Amino acid sequence: MNNGSRKRPPPPSQPLPANQPKSQAFSQEDEFVDEDVFLDETLISEDEESLILRDIEQRQALVSRIAKWIRPHLSSEYLSQSCSIFFQQLEIDYVIGESHKELLPNSSGAAAIIRIFGVTKEGHSVCCNVHGFEPYFYISCPPGMRPDDISGFHKILEGRMKESNRNSKVPQFVRRIEMVQRKSIMHYQQHNSQPFLKIVVALPTMVASCRGILDRGIQIDGLGMKSFMTYESNVLFALRFMIDCNIVGGNWIEVPAGKYKKTAKNLSYCQLEFDCLYSELISHAPEGDFSKMAPFRILSFDIECAGRKGHFPEPTHDPVIQIANLVTLQGEGQPFVRNVMTLKSCSPIVGTEVMSFDTEREVLLAWRDFIREVDPDIIIGYNICKFDLPYLIERADALKIAEFPILGRIRSSRVRVKDTTFSSRQLGTRESKEVTIEGRVQFDLLQAMQRDHKLSSYSLNSVSAHFLSEQKEDVHHSIISDLQNGNADTRRRLAVYCLKDAYLPQRLLDKLMFIYNYVEMARVTGVPISFLLSRGQSIKVLSQLLRKAKQKNLVIPNVKQAGSDQGTYEGATVLEARAGFYEKPIATLDFASLYPSIMMAYNLCYCSLVTPEDVRKLNLPPESVNKTPSGETFVKSNLQKGILPEILEELLAARRRAKADLKEAKDPLEKAVLDGRQLALKISANSVYGFTGATVGQLPCIEISSSVTSYGRQMIEHTKNLVEDKFTTLNGYENNAEVIYGDTDSVMVQFGVSSVEEAMKLGREAAEYISGTFTKPIKLEFEKIYYPFLLISKKRYAGLFWTKPDTFDKMDTKGIETVRRDNCLLVKNLVNDCLHKILIDRDIPGAVQHVKNAISDLLMNRMDLSLLVITKGLTKTGDDYEVKAAHVELAERMRKRDAATAPNVGDRVPYVIIKGAKGAKAYEKSEDPIYVLENNIPIDPQYYLENQISKPILRIFEPILKNASRELLHGSHTRSISISTPSNSGIMKFAKKQLTCIGCKALLSNGDHTLCSHCKGREAELYCKTVAQVSNLETLFGKLWTQCQECQGSLHQDVLCTSRDCPIFYRRKKAQKDMAEAKLQLDRWNF
Amino acid sequence: MLELRLVQGSLLKKVLEAIKELVNDANFDCSASGFSLQAMDSSHVALVALLLRSEGFEHYRCDRNLSMGMNLNNMSKMLKCAGNDDIITIKADDGSDTVTFMFESPTQDKISDFEMKLMDIDSEHLGIPEAEYHAIVRMPSAEFARICKDLSSIGDTVVISVTKEGVKFSTRGDIGAANIVCRQNTTVDKPEEATVVEMNEPVSLTFALRYMNSFTKATPLSNTVTISLSNELPVVVEYKIAEMGYVRFYLAPKIEEDEEETKPEV
Repeated sequence: MNNGSRKRPPPPSQPLPANQPKSQAFSQEDEFVDEDVFLDETLISEDEESLILRDIEQRQALVSRIAKWIRPHLSSEYLSQSCSIFFQQLEIDYVIGESHKELLPNSSGAAAIIRIFGVTKEGHSVCCNVHGFEPYFYISCPPGMRPDDISGFHKILEGRMKESNRNSKVPQFVRRIEMVQRKSIMHYQQHNSQPFLKIVVALPTMVASCRGILDRGIQIDGLGMKSFMTYESNVLFALRFMIDCNIVGGNWIEVPAGKYKKTAKNLSYCQLEFDCLYSELISHAPEGDFSKMAPFRILSFDIECAGRKGHFPEPTHDPVIQIANLVTLQGEGQPFVRNVMTLKSCSPIVGTEVMSFDTEREVLLAWRDFIREVDPDIIIGYNICKFDLPYLIERADALKIAEFPILGRIRSSRVRVKDTTFSSRQLGTRESKEVTIEGRVQFDLLQAMQRDHKLSSYSLNSVSAHFLSEQKEDVHHSIISDLQNGNADTRRRLAVYCLKDAYLPQRLLDKLMFIYNYVEMARVTGVPISFLLSRGQSIKVLSQLLRKAKQKNLVIPNVKQAGSDQGTYEGATVLEARAGFYEKPIATLDFASLYPSIMMAYNLCYCSLVTPEDVRKLNLPPESVNKTPSGETFVKSNLQKGILPEILEELLAARRRAKADLKEAKDPLEKAVLDGRQLALKISANSVYGFTGATVGQLPCIEISSSVTSYGRQMIEHTKNLVEDKFTTLNGYENNAEVIYGDTDSVMVQFGVSSVEEAMKLGREAAEYISGTFTKPIKLEFEKIYYPFLLISKKRYAGLFWTKPDTFDKMDTKGIETVRRDNCLLVKNLVNDCLHKILIDRDIPGAVQHVKNAISDLLMNRMDLSLLVITKGLTKTGDDYEVKAAHVELAERMRKRDAATAPNVGDRVPYVIIKGAKGAKAYEKSEDPIYVLENNIPIDPQYYLENQISKPILRIFEPILKNASRELLHGSHTRSISISTPSNSGIMKFAKKQLTCIGCKALLSNGDHTLCSHCKGREAELYCKTVAQVSNLETLFGKLWTQCQECQGSLHQDVLCTSRDCPIFYRRKKAQKDMAEAKLQLDRWNF
Repeated sequence: MLELRLVQGSLLKKVLEAIKELVNDANFDCSASGFSLQAMDSSHVALVALLLRSEGFEHYRCDRNLSMGMNLNNMSKMLKCAGNDDIITIKADDGSDTVTFMFESPTQDKISDFEMKLMDIDSEHLGIPEAEYHAIVRMPSAEFARICKDLSSIGDTVVISVTKEGVKFSTRGDIGAANIVCRQNTTVDKPEEATVVEMNEPVSLTFALRYMNSFTKATPLSNTVTISLSNELPVVVEYKIAEMGYVRFYLAPKIEEDEEETKPEV
């Protein structure tokens, strides 16, 4: 595998730290290369296979237990091969094998065989081996080379390839070189096409090595040393195949009867396995019947390991004790298989098949057999890619169960585990394992969540709470061993927990419609489903670009990664915000899909860009070019229609169609598909602009992206001027319109009218009037009214959102702390409640009071600790941070306390700020919330007041209230405080609590131990008060305890959960503490 | 009804300066016997105990035991407005949520009333039981303040060791180490300049200098300071207030394991 030439040297300005080698080399999300896997190398020898089979016979009982879940039997038509096979493909990969003698009688030797895995509508699994497709790429034909010279060039190239691939057994590296007529996508060219050389090589990885040779330069007779720009040499082989055969991710493929041959010897576990030629495949566009989904089998699973105290489970030491499985047919509400495999006995669980085994070996092998028989198409779970799957495989390795990792669809082919380093600016560096399971798509919900949703915590618990309003108990992994070592009932408890962990990912998958959305996204952009999780945005745009370019006879250059030295360009414009609280309706005028529209309207594309040199040379008529505000020149569509505009037009047209169909659709499943599609189309359209602007992307073109933003800026200004010129009292309108704010693609106008209806009318009029002044399809739309509207500053506002005159739709906020992740929940709730009171209830005094109450609660230590927890992602270890940060220091301290529970790089760290010595920095005062609860450590209310609450609250109230700061932060409500006594501090070991009067807190003299003499008269009243307090706290604690028991699904067992993400947990702990203290006080009476 | 008249008003000002660096908010407890305060510093490492006995006031009236929560910063702001020779009277009515400080100039030609809002502070009342100490050192307070200041420029912690010969303060830091020995010395002209060591057993304890330095803010209150030490007990640094009472600071010794935790970062 010679991909060394592809890795760029790291940028010199950033020397690599010694502890993270090659992270830079993978910093690009699309730095993926083909990897040739030789069929015969991965297969297990016959002897071994028979050993496995004998093993199976021994465990006949188990096999028959599992066998009831096998796929439906093949009908006679399939068996006799008399019908065409229609299937929905999910996964496409390739292997290197001997080329097929019957299908390809003319070739011999090693060749790439494409394997398509999929499912028919009856639910049969399919493995289609496609032959005859060869890897290739283009170079521009050097001027002066004639068709006769090609064979000479071929020989030289072949020779160079042999040199650099000495240990390869392939007889011929470069299969053939053809001269073809193509055109480069870059820049406007007047000629129609020019000669290119299409170089066809034997194996996919040779594309990269051949490109390396051509990049470096090659000696050609008569032409001298020449280096070549290569075209389309960075396209993965499977994608190349899909593009050339018009296959898009997750679509239906037809193989006509008679065109396929059943394989002589089945290599896979699929029911239908056959060979065919790539030219015989019929790919169906996802329309009508072909937009449906086949009944995939989705397996959701979770494992439990018995860790040792103080250590995170390691596969070399800690056994796998349970595996819970749920198998669901795509489109059905309930799983049809629900089982749990346990080590040692386990009490029965309703609705679940419990399979208990005596040894860990049996558990693992049972799971392998289960996978083979159930044959899932998609494997889902939470963090399976980084934890569960690698753990199982490494554990089997540690136990020397060589026959375990046969989980793929290829008979006796072991699962491959690869270490990968994924590094991106957003997520930081993460080391992980990549497990390849042939023919099965892995869909890790954790990855999908991290990709698609910004959350404060990505634990399964908090994600489920967020999306499903459902929690699960969080058993600390050190307790798991105790449960396992108990009896059948404690193991049952663990099994229930494990099942829930397997069930929640399935629920999330259904709820968020990941399958529909991802399949639709794959169909729209044309990439395989597995790319969507593992690759970035640009591969999707590249795939569309390649498809379109192919139709147009264009080829795409493999531009050398230029790094960031291309510089940046000016982004979008933001009009100055006139901050204030607006009690008149504000109309918002939006540009619909602004950036895509600009690209379409001005025909901005790689192929319509005229280089400055050509501008002078070609002498193009001014009426057929557009000069953009940023100074670039693009030809209009009559000279050369751009490809990007065409892609965008199709995407937007498809979106309109999908939206129209969505309105018509009745069937909820169909609706789900269509909604997923229109969303995918929208995201794809918007990512085209980003693709051209990504300086480290596949084909950056700053000329396009800077032109787009420059037009955008111009349009916002233009709109503002038009509105303020036209809607004036001079022109007969009631009031002068005023633009109060404008962002990237929207302008907010106060027309001065006081009813929503009138504002809507004027908004529509303005939108129509201004749209008329723009080039099509740029369109200004009137969408909504904000009324009332609180404009705080640039990108920060809140308001009630109206789309119809009678009622508002919702409250809408932007850039306000309701969404920021690194604030504590208190801020979020407080801001939300205040906005609700201000905007919806129109009750400003109420909002003020609410803030005061909250601050008072904070100072009185009545605040729930869960509301005060701040979380921050730990992206690197302490030494790498330049400044000390609270969460990093805490992680370090926690590691010293207990390495097992301490957060690791990549985790989000929850913490609270506690009181410290005067002048102590925030990073010295961060503490683990659970530790704080257990030791009754006082939090630092001043920190929360000054660093968390004050800014967001003042931002909201400043436009509304005079003296907001004095009123809210320093009023009389701040003069009641509570100072609690921690149980673990240095001086507390020596200090003794002295009794104070329960009534008035005065110090008690020796004789008394409840009340001072002064309060004696109120004894009865105070006693009742104390009793009432105790009983209140008891009730509260009882309720919280029951809540937790319900969450764990059992009302007669102790609660073990210690979930850091669960607000109930903190409240329960606090109620428990408060109750104990109140009881102590009650005991003082002691009549 | 509470009414406390203190002729030497500057005393109260000095007391506030002594404790406000350690404590933000605290309850002042008034009883027939005196005016007192016990509070932990905000990091819960040190404890402050103040006592002003009723005999020291010119006029002392306290009808019932009373606990008044005050923000010491605000209180200090008000007391700063009193002249050094002024007579200060503290007044509070039963059930009121304010306290009044009245300043009278010595010549009685100026009387100022300052009213401060009280706070409702819910905290536990802590005290350190009296104990026998292994070693008691009495030395000039200015000398002690100087030693703490000097040592803190070199290290974060001070080791105080008491032997027959005297008391040794030592520290160690990145730039080097320092040792200061004060010998027993009773042959001085003025008794307050004496250094007296009473020792039953030798002791050697480690403390954070950060806190020691805060304690020395009480130096203006007294010419001498008494340091009482015992193994496994917090150190007591006491400044006597002539004829009235004392300000005592308690600080737990540093133990190896929590050295990491409370170690002040530079």
